Amino acid sequence: MKKLLALVLVFMLALGVLSACGTPAADPTEPPADDGGDVTTPDDGGENTPASDVTISVAALQSAYENNYPGMWQEVCDAFTAETGIKVELVVEMNLEDVIGPAMQGGEYPDVIHLATGRPAGLTEQFIKDKNIAEITDVLSMTVPGEDVTVGDKLIEGFVNDSSGTNPYSDGKTYLAPMFYGPCGLFYNAGLLEEKGWEVPTTWDEMWELGDKALEEGIYLFTYPTTGYFDAFFYALLYEAGGDQFFYDATHYAEGIWDTEEAQACFDILEKLASYTNPITPAQANNQDFTMNQQLVLDNKAIFMPNGNWVIGEMAEAPRAEGFEWGMIPLPAITEGGDRYSYTFFEQAWIPAGAEHIDAAKQFLSFLYSDVAAEIFAKGSGVQPIEGIVDNLSGDNGVYYSVYENGAKAALGTFASFKSVAGLNTAAEVFFDPFNSLVSGTQTMDDYITNLKSASDQMRANLS
Amino acid sequence: MEKNKARSRFIVLCVAPAVILFLIFMVYPTLNVFRMSLFERGAYSPTETFVGFNNFKSLVSDAYFIRAMQNTILLIVVVTIITFAFALVFAGILTREKVRGKELLRVIFYIPNILSIVVISGIFSAIYKPENGMLNSILSLFAGHQVTTLWKGENLVMLSLIIAMVWQAIGYYMVMYMASMAAVPQSLYESAGLDGAGRVKQFFQITIPLIWTNIRTTLTFFIISTINMAFLFVKAMTSGGPNGASEVALSYMYGQKDAGLYGYSMAIGVVIFLFSFILSALVNKVTKRTPLEF
Repeated sequence: MKKLLALVLVFMLALGVLSACGTPAADPTEPPADDGGDVTTPDDGGENTPASDVTISVAALQSAYENNYPGMWQEVCDAFTAETGIKVELVVEMNLEDVIGPAMQGGEYPDVIHLATGRPAGLTEQFIKDKNIAEITDVLSMTVPGEDVTVGDKLIEGFVNDSSGTNPYSDGKTYLAPMFYGPCGLFYNAGLLEEKGWEVPTTWDEMWELGDKALEEGIYLFTYPTTGYFDAFFYALLYEAGGDQFFYDATHYAEGIWDTEEAQACFDILEKLASYTNPITPAQANNQDFTMNQQLVLDNKAIFMPNGNWVIGEMAEAPRAEGFEWGMIPLPAITEGGDRYSYTFFEQAWIPAGAEHIDAAKQFLSFLYSDVAAEIFAKGSGVQPIEGIVDNLSGDNGVYYSVYENGAKAALGTFASFKSVAGLNTAAEVFFDPFNSLVSGTQTMDDYITNLKSASDQMRANLS
Repeated sequence: MEKNKARSRFIVLCVAPAVILFLIFMVYPTLNVFRMSLFERGAYSPTETFVGFNNFKSLVSDAYFIRAMQNTILLIVVVTIITFAFALVFAGILTREKVRGKELLRVIFYIPNILSIVVISGIFSAIYKPENGMLNSILSLFAGHQVTTLWKGENLVMLSLIIAMVWQAIGYYMVMYMASMAAVPQSLYESAGLDGAGRVKQFFQITIPLIWTNIRTTLTFFIISTINMAFLFVKAMTSGGPNGASEVALSYMYGQKDAGLYGYSMAIGVVIFLFSFILSALVNKVTKRTPLEF
């Protein structure tokens, strides 16, 4: 009896382990909850018919932009309601995945979600993989509420196409609406280079020269916050090495692509860069300590780091070396006079396929590109990808966005989405994470390339 | 007879809410974990496909899972042994010896247990910082030159996790051991002392056998809490890095869910469940002794 009791007790305790992991999931076969509330989807109406008695729910990530200007999203929603009469229920959270995730597992979806790819929880990626996002190609031809131009006319060219990431299945159909764009590049202390009389490198060869010079003074050439920041870096590097077609092939895991000369040029740069990286970087390249790596740049212990302009706000309160001044350059060219690229990072807004009011949600998406909305977003430094917006930017922001006017080409796009397979890591884990090991010397470049090739083959076989 | 019936009905009514809640929120989800491990689905997708034991087959050949499992086992073994030894010795000293500020020490030892893991990981970030971190500064003092050991680097990250986990757990187990040690009658020690048994002998011959039931219980606690705590520590301190070097079973499971492999992560859950269950049962079996009465 005692034995039995002990066993039962042990079983209960073991149960406790799982209770931490197993959330009660609703029956997935159940249709989306239909509570008969404000179900007045205007599917019979034209696309621009205001359905004023509809309430849509919008879930947006509380990112740096919202923090810069609290109430930004609410203001946009209010403006939308004023324009169209459609009411909006807004959720803005920093941990948006945790807030809307459980309800979505139960089949209740917000009508519009603003949540970029590349987040640790990968919620948007999962929706892409599951083909669980509503197609919004027709939004491009919709008139922006309150204006007489279409969304497609307002968007800056190049943001919506098969390789930019808005058409995840590369079939000419758009599923993700581009939001808040920003140039990414190598951030550095302009004051330091000026003080030492060092020239800002324009080619990788000049980069290595600078690295040698700096190391003599105990300054490393390079650091990175976490390996996640290599996405922008890596994409721009691919573009530099082989241009549009090579980028497209590489990000779609084309056969033999990693054996080409262009790929080898990228690997050579990565390998060399690892040897020029401040060796303490990998130990701090995690979500807890990444600001310490950014601090290395502020303290003149490393010169360059890949980043986006949000880093300025992020490190605003941090102590810094005397005469510190932010600077940003696109990636140095591989050959003298070669193309230089700066990756254009942008976020995404999308409509879950299970959303209740898809038509009203599409109107909301199109409203996000109105001048009214763009102006409100700009107050929080969120820059919408619409024509002519750079002219209206002020101060620091103008400087960063003008990088493209100073000769750098814009690099857009991401790795193609592939079906998840057990034992196959995500693209970030395969392509970027090992850089930690390259820096600490626990993995050789050959190992990295071998792993990358076999993973790439599997990704190609599972392209969604 | 009537009275008995009424009484039973009353008891059933009293127990029912707890039982129902337990069934809904513990038993059903757990069974669901087993069911879902046989399916392939994304966390948010409404469709699922039955794949039988395919998820488990993939697990066997998944090198990343095996590494995560190895790390988990390493933590269970090392953290348990070190925490167990320290907690027992400290508890012995604090109950048996005349130490000044005993109460204060007990509180100090217990404090880490009250702190949230996020706070602890913040503290250890400062301790492990490569430059000007507390640990490296102290080492530099002795070494005579600037030490920049990468405590959270690939080679030492598991050791760093172990140190933090032991530091966090000692107080809790110490207090548990102290409670049962206090119940051991003083007279036993006195008579052992008269027979010539020293402090150490008394500890091994009297204290440990008499608190054996308590030790057995805590061993099960160790296994379960190390598996759970390892997840929290890894999430907060290292995010599984660098390059996956500190990934443990639960954090790997969580990551697979985010990668869109819900069924697969449930299969990992099942493996962890069975693993912890069997391990606990084994430990329970091996440490079985006839309880001593006193």
